Amino acid sequence: MKNRPARSLALIGLLAAFALVTFVIESQIPSPFALPGVKLGLANIFTLVALPLLGRKEAAAVLTVRILLGSLFTGTTVTLLYSLAGGVLCYVVMALVYQPLGEKLTWVTSILGALAHNLGQMAAAMIVLGKNVLYYAPVLVLSGILTGLFTGLAAGFALKALRAVKKDR
Amino acid sequence: MWKKHKFWGILFSLLFLSALASLLPLPRLGKGHVARITSEGKVIKEIDLDLVSEPYEFTVETSNGYNRIRVEKGKIAVIDADCPDKVCQKTGWISGSLQPILCLPHELVIEILGEGSEVDAISGGVS
Repeated sequence: MKNRPARSLALIGLLAAFALVTFVIESQIPSPFALPGVKLGLANIFTLVALPLLGRKEAAAVLTVRILLGSLFTGTTVTLLYSLAGGVLCYVVMALVYQPLGEKLTWVTSILGALAHNLGQMAAAMIVLGKNVLYYAPVLVLSGILTGLFTGLAAGFALKALRAVKKDR
Repeated sequence: MWKKHKFWGILFSLLFLSALASLLPLPRLGKGHVARITSEGKVIKEIDLDLVSEPYEFTVETSNGYNRIRVEKGKIAVIDADCPDKVCQKTGWISGSLQPILCLPHELVIEILGEGSEVDAISGGVS
């Protein structure tokens, strides 16, 4: 992959575009829970796929494009701040654990990432609002595990399928 | 391989359950010390008395007159009013749901929500 920068760049663009569309569509769906900060995080599927498929730097690029453009399309600067705090922490944790865990345990990587994401958002909320929001932590842990499992399984299946396609060639 | 899946599955299940468990008593804790102030039939303020760190006062004014309310950690009282009977003022501090503060001339009600069944609510009210 490293020897083929054009292919890598194209895949980054493709995954970033997928992630962005998913992110925008998801933001249009009203949350089934009336809780702030609780959402599926489907766009994270693409970061999860990009990490083992393309590498750390490439996944970071996918994530950065998605967050910057996603906030531009859907929200305000405050959204950007929350997204960045959550996204960066989520990425750092996932980048650290995806290799030791392996692709079959993508759902574990995903849950850990989702938990880190929620932790980052909570920290940002504490700084922005100047209030102690720790009492909200259990809600975010619950949603992080559920949504992380869901997106992780989706990413795991996607990875399996993509690897199979590669073998055929 | 399945061992690892099991390990993480159990770990996250435990975390999930503990988060769920820590969430359950929260609503009950929050209740019992939320004071709701109703003026002329409308809820104008809800204060979580457990979260009050610094005592403070404020005035509720209506066309009929005013009530000055003081809030401290865990309790609330009307400390001044220009109504003729001053029943609200004489009620004193309340901290439980057993006795609300009423000011009939000004149509003011201060009640503490939830099932705070503390004995102190009455003895505190009489003093």
